[in-house]
Amino acid sequence: MNAEKLLQARADLENNLRALLGRAVLVIELDLFALPCGCNGITANMRGLELDDVEVFEEQMLPYFKKMAASLDIPPSFIFARLVPGSSVVAAINWRVLCDRCYPEFARARGKKPRPDIYIMHIERREGRGSEKRKG
Amino acid sequence: MKKKLYVPYPGHFDGLKELISEAGKDIYSVYMAGSPDYIGTGRSNLSAPQIEDIREQTEYAHKHGVKMEIVLNSTCMGGRQLTPEGFNLNHWYLEKLDECGIDTIVVADPYLVETIARDFDMRVVVSVLSFVSSPQKAELYEELGASSIVLDPDENRHFEVLHAIRDAVDCELKLLVNEGCLYQGPFRYAHFNFFSHAFGPPPRPNVLDDYYHHKCISMRIKNPELIITSPWIRPEDIREYAEITDVFKIGGRTHYINWVLNCLRAYTEETYDGNLMNILDCPKELRDLFYISNRDLDGVIDHWKECPMICNNCGFCKELTDKFVYMYTGGGTENEALTQWSKMAVCA
Repeated sequence: MNAEKLLQARADLENNLRALLGRAVLVIELDLFALPCGCNGITANMRGLELDDVEVFEEQMLPYFKKMAASLDIPPSFIFARLVPGSSVVAAINWRVLCDRCYPEFARARGKKPRPDIYIMHIERREGRGSEKRKG
Repeated sequence: MKKKLYVPYPGHFDGLKELISEAGKDIYSVYMAGSPDYIGTGRSNLSAPQIEDIREQTEYAHKHGVKMEIVLNSTCMGGRQLTPEGFNLNHWYLEKLDECGIDTIVVADPYLVETIARDFDMRVVVSVLSFVSSPQKAELYEELGASSIVLDPDENRHFEVLHAIRDAVDCELKLLVNEGCLYQGPFRYAHFNFFSHAFGPPPRPNVLDDYYHHKCISMRIKNPELIITSPWIRPEDIREYAEITDVFKIGGRTHYINWVLNCLRAYTEETYDGNLMNILDCPKELRDLFYISNRDLDGVIDHWKECPMICNNCGFCKELTDKFVYMYTGGGTENEALTQWSKMAVCA
């Protein structure tokens, strides 16, 4: 992973979405992140993307999203769109490698919208219920 | 054209020094927001200058022949301004600003217009967020005590209305030249009310994503004609307004000084070669997406001066969009290129 690779990934993601939707979309920022709980991943902050776009083109988007995450050494185990609550605006696409404490919050949720601001595109269920380290 | 330029800065002393040392001779007045602890503003704030900071910066500006304006243009104070506690607090703060030697103070609330005009030495300016868009409204604000009115930018290309306002009042008129907000944008009132609370006295809403911003940007990404129709005034075109006013305000108090200086140079020299998006205040994110050569728009003002803005019957701005709006692809990589927007967009 280096900055050039990240820059290229941002541009490629943007081009891919534009080609798919046939109109302009802006990936305003592509970030790698690490949280104190242990979760980590990538966030693509979006402008011009709507929930309708994601719902209609989910099948086409997912393979690319998985490939992109893998190219940045992030296992694409959980991919979701973060929405501006109560609206159709997609604020970001997130690729999150869930820690053992956060995993159950999402894995136990039913449906694609466990919260008003989250639309789950893909989640890989784990066997068991998380590690001992984070229990309690 | 001889003109008075009001120039923004984020409110820190280093920024003011840089601005004045680089271009003090071209600046009539600088402006910044006050402290959000008393009266908020209709924009986001990068700083919260306290009374002593304001005093020090005002003295510095005056020493260099530049006037100081403070913007307190909250569009919603939740009625607190009308309570005895709110009145006393606001009045105390305004007194302190007056003592600092502030030249002009910008407010959006008519109640504050009247209060300040009556009780203080500093001149009161009616904010762009009072949406003065007719001679009648301008007259009413003048009656309340306004010494200057920043007109609703939605009127910037309605010359008949601008002339009527000019004829109706004696006070100074000011035009905001580079706001890139949507023409007749549906989000304006709600967005400025939100900002007024988010950047005003506590309690402040803890909002992660600003819906109005996202939606407004999104609409322009989908349809950049909305950038063309937004009522900015090109640096070359401000001379067309000579019969209305010689006072112009540059927007952008959340930008770096270098950006402000670039804008200031353009409006001082009344010419700009480059991407129009670089001198528009509001949609700064979109300068990484769209390229619109300012030069390509030479002469379009002649159409806009006569345009009733019934876009469905016209198509002029759509034509400009198809011809002159370009889009970056591969941004930030060695393959970065510009593509004509109309050639890539399915909905063009």
